[in-house]
Amino acid sequence: MRLALYVTCLVDLMRPSIGFASLRLLEALGAEVVVPEGQTCCGQPAWSAGNRALASDLAKQAIAELEGFDHVVIPSGSCTDQIRHVYPQLFADDPLWLPRAQALAARTHELASFLADIGKLAQPLVEFSGNVTYHDSCKGLRQLGIKRQPRELLLKVQGLTLKEMPDCEECCGFGGAFSVQFGDISARIVDRKCEAIAATGADAVVGGDLGCLLNIEGRLRRRGDEKTRVLHIAEVLAGGAAE
Amino acid sequence: MNAAAKHSQAMHFHARAGEKVRNPALQRALQKARPLFVGKRQKGLASLAEDGLDFTNLRSTAENIRNRVLADLDVWLELFEERATASGAEVMWARDGDEVARLVVEIAQKHGVRKVTKSKSMLSEEARLNEALSAAGIRPVETDLGEYIVQLAGEPPSHIIAPAVHKSIGEVEALFAEEHGRPQQARTSADIPAMAREAREVLRQHFLSADMGISGANFLIAETGSAALVTNEGNGRMVTTLPRVHVVVTGIEKLLPTLEDFATLMRLLPRSATGQSISNYVSLLTGTRARDVGALTPGPSPAGRGEMGAPLHDGQVPEGPEKTVFILVDNGRANLLGSAYQDMLRCIRCGACMNHCPVYFSLGGHAYGWVYPGPMGSVLTPLYTGIENALDLPHASTGCGHCADVCPVGIPLPSLMHRLKEEQLARGLRPWSERLALRVWAWVAGRPRLYRWLTRRVARYLDWLADGTGRIRIFGLAPAWTAERDLPVAAGKTFHELYAAQKRK
Repeated sequence: MRLALYVTCLVDLMRPSIGFASLRLLEALGAEVVVPEGQTCCGQPAWSAGNRALASDLAKQAIAELEGFDHVVIPSGSCTDQIRHVYPQLFADDPLWLPRAQALAARTHELASFLADIGKLAQPLVEFSGNVTYHDSCKGLRQLGIKRQPRELLLKVQGLTLKEMPDCEECCGFGGAFSVQFGDISARIVDRKCEAIAATGADAVVGGDLGCLLNIEGRLRRRGDEKTRVLHIAEVLAGGAAE
Repeated sequence: MNAAAKHSQAMHFHARAGEKVRNPALQRALQKARPLFVGKRQKGLASLAEDGLDFTNLRSTAENIRNRVLADLDVWLELFEERATASGAEVMWARDGDEVARLVVEIAQKHGVRKVTKSKSMLSEEARLNEALSAAGIRPVETDLGEYIVQLAGEPPSHIIAPAVHKSIGEVEALFAEEHGRPQQARTSADIPAMAREAREVLRQHFLSADMGISGANFLIAETGSAALVTNEGNGRMVTTLPRVHVVVTGIEKLLPTLEDFATLMRLLPRSATGQSISNYVSLLTGTRARDVGALTPGPSPAGRGEMGAPLHDGQVPEGPEKTVFILVDNGRANLLGSAYQDMLRCIRCGACMNHCPVYFSLGGHAYGWVYPGPMGSVLTPLYTGIENALDLPHASTGCGHCADVCPVGIPLPSLMHRLKEEQLARGLRPWSERLALRVWAWVAGRPRLYRWLTRRVARYLDWLADGTGRIRIFGLAPAWTAERDLPVAAGKTFHELYAAQKRK
């Protein structure tokens, strides 16, 4: 099995440990894992801003870079949704690019769902001692139907107890550019998430999208919570997060 | 500028939102209401399963019914007009809100009306009907409890099914004490029934003394020429049956072909709105009061209110108004037919989209600046008042998609907001700074080598700003982020930089 790891622009810049943890997990499946060198950004920010032309340019670059693998794996539901569902829309009227976009869409997977459903990861690589609560990121949950997979994986981790929070499916308020354009509204939304996390008494909140995690961690710290760890699921399954 | 745009405050969304997020009383009211709305709908959907029904299947049936109406709206409207007229009602057409207001005032004046009771109608908000009536010396009295409260406060409703959801008990008590001429008391939620009783007693006098009733319609039924009204407080019945004149003001898109279609939609509407399997009152209003038994003719169009379609039996008193007028309103709806936004016309006004919206529950409805708040408002306000008059609304979304998930008629609200964003850009309505930043970023992201070089520099810069703490507290490039959050950062090197170094080893 030949896999491409698409680390996402946010992981590349803001938290490389998630990329390395993803790499170790995919290699543990016995797969050949390639990190295509020309990857930058999937173009979602341009799409979300309503700029179809720029989004298409970046989509073409990503398609050319990522096609030809058995699977493309991404430690983000949001970027996976962009490739799975938006790329084919972008090229709906382009007979040259549409088949390529569709072929890539069919082979592109979010990390946790890939590990659980296709890779069949038998055993996480590290142990974790403590309680965690899982935040379902919106695109993964509603566009990709990811709900069961991260929980299945977390329950395999030695020493880990899953303590679900009510409203785990509620948005954290990140929303990409939304969190900067409407920072004050976003802060009220993430406040509710912070309260829900605190109510579980969990040692860590775990998620599958770095954007949400930066938003949650940033607000938890600003509210004075120095204790609750904020981790990507790859970091829980394979370690490597900064202490 | 169209008539609706004159009174829209949607251009000031961001400033208004800023006030709302900093209003602790409002935040408390909203946080109390949110779990109730969500929990009630969940129970409502669970009750579908008890009836052996499945939400997904039912939703696609409802979606098809609504699409069928919209595909031939003109035909269904003609049929409705024919059947409604045959049953004794009058049907009028209004192009916009101003025309609605003019027609209603004319009808009131023609019938010597001095007081009007109103059952909840969002369309009357589009038409600013209360203002127009008052200006003509006619007193409008809102009779839905929530609408009554916001009318006393001189505010528009902040939610389409819970107009006063933004008000605390204390605020309502102050309004009641003043209006009902009594001293203010300390109130808790245990007093809500007593306060409702108090309003009911006051409203009863208005019901009995009003000359005209104005209602909306949840649906119009083409085959019978009826208005369907779904309410919980019983005020709708009083408004539509007691006064001499009844005016139904509703949008042209509210049509359903048959009563059977209505039954299907009714499985979804109350459950999606309040979680009820059926609302306390469901009224089908057809025609006018029968003059006498002889005036009734059996046939497809039922005449007289009472048993649908049946002649009055001995001793039955004819009920209902002497005059019924339907005012069917366009106000921007016809423009959406055949457009990329036609899906929005399926909306049945249940409020589920706002009830599950993280943005709505951080602000309440008033921040949205026009009649409809929440995700439906973020689509309808630009479409009905002009895209250029509501630039923030389609962007004021986290893209979480919860609204589309819960919509009982499958409206792809996030996709419609996205289309509005594309249209803003195509019409040059986005700020130049935003367009430039996006172009520069995309230009760099399109050149992987340059991108690598630049991101390495940015990683160093972020690390320097964090100064060994792992987080940035004030970030000049995105001050809105760090106004209320830290920015967690990693240790100065990008993934690709570290990975390349690892491979070299």
